[in-house]
Amino acid sequence: MFGFLKRFRKKSPWILHYNTGSCNGCDIEILACLGPKYDLERFGIVNKGNPKQADILLVTGPVTKRARARLLRLYMQMPEPKVVVAVGACACTGGVFRYMYNVENGVDRYIPVDVYVPGCAARPENIIEGVKKAIEIWERKKKERIELPKLVEGVEGEPLDRRTLIRQLEEKFCKRLPGEEEE
Amino acid sequence: MTAFEIGVAILFPWIFALAIYLVNRHWFSVLLTVLNFFVLTAIGLHLWFSLHGALMFQPPHFVDWLILVYDYGLLLYFLKQGLDRKNPLVSVLALIQLLLLTWVVLIKPPSEVPNLYVDRLTVFMYLIVGFVGSMITVFATRYMLEEDPKREGEFVALLVWFLGVMNFIVSVNNIEWFFALFETTTLASYLLIRFRGDKISVNNALLALWMNQIGGITILLALLFAIHKYGITHFTQFSDHASLALFPLAFLGAAALVKGAQMPFHRWLLGAMVAPTPVSAILHSATMVKVAPYLILRLSPYIHGTLLAKLLIVFTGFVFVVTALLALNETHFKRILAYSTISLLALMMLAGAVGTPLAVTVSLMLIAFHAVAKALLFLEAGVLEKVYHAKTIYDIKHIINKAPFTVFFILVGFLSMTMVPFAMFVAKWLLISEMSELLSRASYTITVAILAIGGAILTVLYLKILGLTINRDEESFRVKLERLPLLFAAPNTLYVILILLATLFVNPLLVKLFGPVTGAVIGEVPPFCGQGLDVCIGNLKLPFWEILIAFFFVVFFPVIANYIHFKVDRTAEYTCGEPLRVRISTYNMVCLGKASPYFETIALALFLLVLIVGGGML
Amino acid sequence: MKAILLLVALLSPILGGIVYGIERKLKARMQNRMGPPLLQPFYDFFKLADKRALQIHSFHSLMGIAFFVAAWFAVFALLVGPNILVAVFLHVLALLFFTAGGFSVKSPYSVMGALRELAHILAAEPILVFAVIALYLTTGSWDIEGILSSGKVPLFEMPLLFAALVLTIPIVLKRSPFDISEAHQEIIGGAEIEYSGIFYEAVYTAKWLEYIFIGTLIFLFGGSNYLIGFLLVALTFLLVWLIDNSTTRLTVHHMMKFAWGVLLPLAAFNVFWIAIWR
Repeated sequence: MFGFLKRFRKKSPWILHYNTGSCNGCDIEILACLGPKYDLERFGIVNKGNPKQADILLVTGPVTKRARARLLRLYMQMPEPKVVVAVGACACTGGVFRYMYNVENGVDRYIPVDVYVPGCAARPENIIEGVKKAIEIWERKKKERIELPKLVEGVEGEPLDRRTLIRQLEEKFCKRLPGEEEE
Repeated sequence: MTAFEIGVAILFPWIFALAIYLVNRHWFSVLLTVLNFFVLTAIGLHLWFSLHGALMFQPPHFVDWLILVYDYGLLLYFLKQGLDRKNPLVSVLALIQLLLLTWVVLIKPPSEVPNLYVDRLTVFMYLIVGFVGSMITVFATRYMLEEDPKREGEFVALLVWFLGVMNFIVSVNNIEWFFALFETTTLASYLLIRFRGDKISVNNALLALWMNQIGGITILLALLFAIHKYGITHFTQFSDHASLALFPLAFLGAAALVKGAQMPFHRWLLGAMVAPTPVSAILHSATMVKVAPYLILRLSPYIHGTLLAKLLIVFTGFVFVVTALLALNETHFKRILAYSTISLLALMMLAGAVGTPLAVTVSLMLIAFHAVAKALLFLEAGVLEKVYHAKTIYDIKHIINKAPFTVFFILVGFLSMTMVPFAMFVAKWLLISEMSELLSRASYTITVAILAIGGAILTVLYLKILGLTINRDEESFRVKLERLPLLFAAPNTLYVILILLATLFVNPLLVKLFGPVTGAVIGEVPPFCGQGLDVCIGNLKLPFWEILIAFFFVVFFPVIANYIHFKVDRTAEYTCGEPLRVRISTYNMVCLGKASPYFETIALALFLLVLIVGGGML
Repeated sequence: MKAILLLVALLSPILGGIVYGIERKLKARMQNRMGPPLLQPFYDFFKLADKRALQIHSFHSLMGIAFFVAAWFAVFALLVGPNILVAVFLHVLALLFFTAGGFSVKSPYSVMGALRELAHILAAEPILVFAVIALYLTTGSWDIEGILSSGKVPLFEMPLLFAALVLTIPIVLKRSPFDISEAHQEIIGGAEIEYSGIFYEAVYTAKWLEYIFIGTLIFLFGGSNYLIGFLLVALTFLLVWLIDNSTTRLTVHHMMKFAWGVLLPLAAFNVFWIAIWR
């Protein structure tokens, strides 16, 4: 049964696009992919803009300190199976911002990244190729498995309350900056 | 023997009220109100099954004199109230009524027509008063314990007495008596509204007093002309002059419009909400305002098809839509209920004025189920006020976290007024269908639009309020069911059960209850053809499976939602990844409130049109 | 005929999915794109079934499922039931669950979407009621079989009302310029935002059912001439998609003004004209 359903995964990947402080170069290219010229929709790809209904997380930017908790929350709000694509040099390594005081040097310090798309800015062809790779990886993933950063013990199978999980992760990784209050 | 039972139905509440007032103990009030409930319901049922045709009944002659004396006393009391409270309007209107009453007495011909007239419609009203109204008095005993235990006896006695007055007013045939009782309901509402005694209560009570006295004046004018032109002193005599005596009929209709708080006179009913909540409950559901559709139904066979009826349809249709719109702008829970009452009263009178068998049936259905739904909702408003200290719709935001039961009751109350498959929906549906039927033959054109629009507005209004209440933040199994005091919970539960049963058994009710009453009102019965529980009237069919499945949706989904628990991950709401906890409240459509003066002006113009053109004065 | 109607009612989610697939393809072609394959809605459907579900709370998820079931029932009542007016109100019942779900969570977008959904009901329901009344007026029948075998074509008597109904479809289906309650770029889907996985699937599919619901109403304006009926449905949907592609979103105020100021008088005038003309 589930094997049967799995076959349709590659035909309908829905995207969530998040900018963690990029210069908007890669974002423009992502939007170009969705436009008439490259037309990602012919593969069934839709930009959903909503983590709860998305399958692929396209992250751009070097992850500023402000953005890291948001990135984590959006990632945790996506239902499994899901894949993460780091688009552009900044998202892969921090790019020209690497080792700056306000930057976390790439997405993979916080969430597990499946595909790295290089380039500054990443070319649409590269992005499409990256998404294609991501779909291949996505097809192999299990829907029960929540991938978490290494420092937290993995939780598998059972229903869980992700709100507490997010809170734990935040406490562990994201020390609050001054002036950043909750509620 | 039936005469005795009618006497019991009318007089028992008066006696009970006196006893409650004199004893003034909580347990005694509870006992007597419960007893009153059983007595009135039992007598209503007994009369229903034993009555064949109409019963004319002449009480002893001295009652006539008694009522005349009482009438003068009442008007003098109004006059005195006006002078005491320095409200010239009240005193002037009372004076005018005194003069007109004296005139009536002077030219009144001796008449041997019986003064009491009891038919199925009367007994139908007995049943509503007995079942719906007296449950409210039971609730009121407990409510007053929270509010002001010392004055409980006084308050409950007033309410019980009101029921007696209501039973009386639906049994009279003599228009002069009708006037006396009409003004008695005015008195009762006046006393109840000013019950709390603060400035705003007194002001609103005086408002109710003078507005309702306009109704009294129109009744007296109607009576005066009826006597002068046609020698009519009793309702039944209109049948000899059907559709000729338009002038008195128009003025009686105007009295109904005033009592029913239609648009230019709607402020008194809105003002009535300053009183303790059971007052609103009893005014809106079983008594007072229900005099209006009752009167229109009584007149319906005489005005059927006349210009007066058509103007009434236009006027009430306008009020139906406009008050529903204004309700969207309100934030006070009881004011919203008041506006929706005015709106639905307009619908009842509209259906009554149309006067075809099906329309009259619809009017009766609306009267009955609106009474139940509004009683339920106002009692819930009382619960919200006393237990949860919530008065505006902003106070009842996400109250489901505290009070799932109450929310379910409110849901049933609201949805029963608009949603498939509840009995009031069936009524609305029948009316739309009947109107489109008439559309293909005659010119009831505007009504279809009115019904389509007004229905949608009311649906949106109720959903808007429900939406605020059901905003929950925890899994339902974590929410404890609230425990309410028995006297708070029991009446509401009874109403809910009644609504749900009526929904399922709407066809037997149509055939056995509303059909015969329609027959009594206009002498004709809609072409029922339903078997068992399927509704079928002419070419209109609503099979039971549709009712049942829709019933399952509306009633069972909210209930089982409390017990179903999906074993999947829980997550936070999407707020763009921000750690925000934002709660959106609701729209309150301020722009509609600004239109209110224009609406009132148009309504006043239409009201005058009903009186002048409908009354044949041109 | 009863058998065909029953079959359509039972298969309505699939048919609706196909219509949605056609819509996506055609809209892509209108924008000079390739567009997704025709069966894309079903791929989405199976994909969603395979996702791990997340929820806010069970009440919310249940309301999503109730929306689907009630919407299906509304279609069923329209096609098989003896009274199409009741079906229109059952459609409102389905929307009740959708809005209840939207209201039941604390998410600002969801509540905002539900509130806007109420405006959609306010704008569209009277015109749907009018459409049904018009069908009764011309064919003298409240049930779908009677209309389909009445020997009349309601379109010829009710052209203005039909135009009003066509222009109501963007409001009912939430298509531009009246995609106000959905507004993907603004409130990210409105009341449907918090559903995911299998629960979103219910909402996603329920929206296909609306195509069948509204399509049937359009088809009925062809009366007993089925060719006209099919043509009407095809041309109407084409027009609606064209409008969807070529307009931008308006506000609630515009929608209410348009619905009550233009469409409703148009519909009412047509009905009254026919009523008086007879």
